[in-house]
Amino acid sequence: MTDAGGEGSNDLELIARWKNGDEKAATELVQRHAAALARFAVSSGERSEVDELVQDTFVRAFASIDSFRGESSFRTWLFTIERRLLIDRRRSEKRRRDRTEIQEDDAATEYDALDTVVADETQQRLQRAVERLSPTQREVFALRVGEGLSYKEIADAVGTTEGAARVHYHNAMRAVKEFLDE
Amino acid sequence: MNDCSNADIRDRLPDLLHEHLDAASRAMVVAHVAACIDCRDELELLRSVHKTLSARTPRVDIAYVVNALPKPPARRTQVQLSARRRWSDWRIAAGVTVLIAGGSSLVISRRAPSAVDTRPPIVDTAGARLTSSPSVTTAEIPAPTASTPAPSTVTPSVATTVATNDVADSGGDEGSDGRFAGLNNAQMQTLLKEIDQLKPVPVTEPEPVTIRVDLKPSGPQGVR
Repeated sequence: MTDAGGEGSNDLELIARWKNGDEKAATELVQRHAAALARFAVSSGERSEVDELVQDTFVRAFASIDSFRGESSFRTWLFTIERRLLIDRRRSEKRRRDRTEIQEDDAATEYDALDTVVADETQQRLQRAVERLSPTQREVFALRVGEGLSYKEIADAVGTTEGAARVHYHNAMRAVKEFLDE
Repeated sequence: MNDCSNADIRDRLPDLLHEHLDAASRAMVVAHVAACIDCRDELELLRSVHKTLSARTPRVDIAYVVNALPKPPARRTQVQLSARRRWSDWRIAAGVTVLIAGGSSLVISRRAPSAVDTRPPIVDTAGARLTSSPSVTTAEIPAPTASTPAPSTVTPSVATTVATNDVADSGGDEGSDGRFAGLNNAQMQTLLKEIDQLKPVPVTEPEPVTIRVDLKPSGPQGVR
């Protein structure tokens, strides 16, 4: 399976064009993958500065484009980079929180503000169900359901095995169903 | 909500949602879903989750992302190449200048050798004295260091000692200007032997030593 429904070869062509000096090729690649990266970021629990995260992901990707060997799809590679950035961001955020305690009220306010975006009650319940998943389950679930990645691609992006990715997905699906049945 | 017992079909439901199945697989999964209420429910749940994830995602500012991207490597290379070319031009110009200056000074020095070496030809004088009238010649040679003791006797001392000293001074060019024209073959052989036996020049600056040599034809009396 290639990213975005068989666009893998086009991605390689765009990368080659960009390497030859065509800056428009980069714009095209960003247009093609930015939304998926933003979705993955939000699904993984990122609530603020999604634009910055997506930007950082692309900057890192283009800066080290020579290390992309095309073994996975370009989008999977982007997910891998974004995931590492997310982990770094969470670590630094945790350190910051350790230094300055955050008031519970502030956190609740942020959460409520985000909730208003989701008007539909079913969507709100689904959102809560996904947020209750473990970080790995959430990542796997988001990549499988949100982006349609294969288990192999998920394994590459998350840094696990194909079998483990499959197990994470089915456990996540069961947990979501159980939450919705409550 | 129940799970269908057909794990293979359940595994493919997200692929059906994203239209990632080939025609045959798609037909098989669609046929199963049409007959299986659990899979229908699960597929509906997947659609809702996908919709929810998309709805929560903010719109990304493409221009904002693109503006931060690095320049393409081809363009970077062009910039680097032009800079390198300028640097190379400077180096070539500097090299040519050095060559011209060095060559000119070499030509000048070749044309006026007396201006460089104004010392009197010691060997010629010594050689003439050797054949005409015996006398004492003084010459300054570097004093031996502790590690390189001076030879106790030098034979035939006059010509060899002076000539040896001159060999070192003249940089080995003595044969071409006839400075040793007065020496016979035996003397030349002895001279060459002594040159071979010479110790290396000491590292430290030696103190000058005055050597008095007896130039009597009967034979050297040694160095005093």
